[in-house]
Amino acid sequence: MKREPADIATRTGVDRRAVLKGMGGLGLAAAGAGIFGMPRSASAAESLNYMCWEGYNAPTILDPFQKQKDVAISVDLITDSAGGFAKLAAGAAKDFDLVSSDSPWIARMGPAGICRYIDDKDFAEQYAEFYPQFRAPFAPLQFEGKATGLPTRWGWVGPTVNTKFDKLETWSSYAPVFDAAYKDKICLLDWGDWPIMPLALYAGVNPYVPLDQAALDEVRKVLRAAFKNTRAIVADLAIAQKGLIDGSFRALIGGGTYATSSLRMKGHDYIQSIVPEPKNGLKQGIIWMEATGLIENGRDSKVAADFLKYIVSPEVAKQLSITEATCNLVPNAKAEALFSDAEKKALQMDYMWTAWDNSHFHTVAPNIDDMLAIWQEELAAR
Amino acid sequence: MRTDSKSWRDPVLVATVAPLAIVMLAFFVIPLVMTAVLSFQTTQFYRLTWTWDLKVWTEVFSKPHYWTIMARTVAMALVCVVICLLIAFPAAYALATRLRAYNAQIQILIIFAFLTDAVLKTFGWILVLDKSGVANWLLAHLGLGPEALNLLFTPTGTMIGMVYGLVVYPLFTIYLSLARIDRDLVLAAYDSGASRLRAFFEVTLPLSRPGLYCGAVLVFVLSLGAFLEPKVLGGGTAPLASELIRQSFETRVNWPLGAALTLVLIAIGALSLALGAAVLMRGNSGRAAR
Repeated sequence: MKREPADIATRTGVDRRAVLKGMGGLGLAAAGAGIFGMPRSASAAESLNYMCWEGYNAPTILDPFQKQKDVAISVDLITDSAGGFAKLAAGAAKDFDLVSSDSPWIARMGPAGICRYIDDKDFAEQYAEFYPQFRAPFAPLQFEGKATGLPTRWGWVGPTVNTKFDKLETWSSYAPVFDAAYKDKICLLDWGDWPIMPLALYAGVNPYVPLDQAALDEVRKVLRAAFKNTRAIVADLAIAQKGLIDGSFRALIGGGTYATSSLRMKGHDYIQSIVPEPKNGLKQGIIWMEATGLIENGRDSKVAADFLKYIVSPEVAKQLSITEATCNLVPNAKAEALFSDAEKKALQMDYMWTAWDNSHFHTVAPNIDDMLAIWQEELAAR
Repeated sequence: MRTDSKSWRDPVLVATVAPLAIVMLAFFVIPLVMTAVLSFQTTQFYRLTWTWDLKVWTEVFSKPHYWTIMARTVAMALVCVVICLLIAFPAAYALATRLRAYNAQIQILIIFAFLTDAVLKTFGWILVLDKSGVANWLLAHLGLGPEALNLLFTPTGTMIGMVYGLVVYPLFTIYLSLARIDRDLVLAAYDSGASRLRAFFEVTLPLSRPGLYCGAVLVFVLSLGAFLEPKVLGGGTAPLASELIRQSFETRVNWPLGAALTLVLIAIGALSLALGAAVLMRGNSGRAAR
């Protein structure tokens, strides 16, 4: 006999009314939980709206500050720095108090009126704890002598290599990216301008200065050659890391330490990110940095400024350094003493100043839209 | 038979149509108009500038790579339609005939797979298609050697993901058409001396056409917007239109360009469907004339 739904309901004693009553009960329970078990947002004296990358929102970072300052922090995660900037520029700035993003985008926010400038003197105590390279006046975040935000995390962009398969010396240059022996063994990370910059540097073009048509043509040529050898252009970090570990990718290009340190922290210490040797006098590495800025929303929130001091303090910087998704360096020198030897090794701290010395700082590239358009065109023609 | 003539002055008719009309206006027509308006603006320093300008449209029509990607998207969508129909028809036929006794259980399993999150399903395929994945493990055990398949990060990988995600639509539309066919018509064909094959082509297939067309349209339209599969299983090396639009909106922060490309994709989809409908109608009228 074919069993109809009604038949099942009768046999099990469950009818529509009972289901609806159950759902109503669940709804009331949920509403009750909302009223009586409400998290801090309803009860806190003040609130902050925070746009940030994953990692900055870790409860171990936000909860102590929320309790200490009796403030509720609402987080809006960004997946793309440019997208975050565009959202704030389109009018969302009035709804936010703080933003943590890639430093070129934070640097743009001051002159664009999205972030308020900070007075370096107000943060003298914080700057004093930073490595000398990050102390005030910190050029990458300066505009006409005024600073937009403070640096919060950093690392370098260079080939990420599995040393079980390749010697590090092989990657003292980006040459293998174009080598037929590495065909279908290269993975480019689809992270906006990140993979374009190192390849431009290999082509002898400094992407951080205004480029003429001849230089852009060189960028086109190098991208075209790289695409020919590339197996995949991957945006998802987990897929890229998996391929690197099992050897189906011999190197990740365009990620660097952001793609490496979390693997090293989990014991894969044979994965390393290095910076290639300078080529024809042009440094081949790139230092990337994230910064946190105070959004210009007319409220001039003191608690937001307090959060900025808090996020760069040694203990919090250490928390921010080692998160579930990625592990990165922090500018606070005092935080270094808080890391264990294993953590320092995972973060490649013994190599960080070598990488720094052989790198350009990732700043606003004047021709970035031209280069992104070339990337799109060459990918379409592949 | 008496038919009621309806007038737009009829308040009952207006009240009946109004909710849907309001929803369509609010969530389809107005956003579409806004997208069109956006495509005539420009961006400067990653900010939208409200100026009426044809700059973006000039770029769209002067850069061939946009059209390369659009053409690739349409081609992939058409191939996906064909493969989905080829898989869905026999499966639906079996469900409607041979597997009738288990039809409810099988449908529940299919719906369960269909409702599983698309991200999970797409990432799951990586474990199957990877060089060291399940597919190669099985083939290696069948003596075909290690890494016999190299489908991950290829257009074939993209197609496998698209077909897997979309085949359920024609499966159900065709099944519904087949289930409604009067069995007596097929029996009458047999009584008239038709073979099983002839009865299928003369009776079953023509009567299941509504389900086929409906399934094909659903697969085609959804394929045009495929995003996850080319990105994850295709390895981003042969981008389709949705990735082009994402790059324009998100990475390049060029919203007018993204809006223009969105409109181009919608127009291509609508034109393709109109063309397909015209060809089918001509075919149908030709058959009717014979």
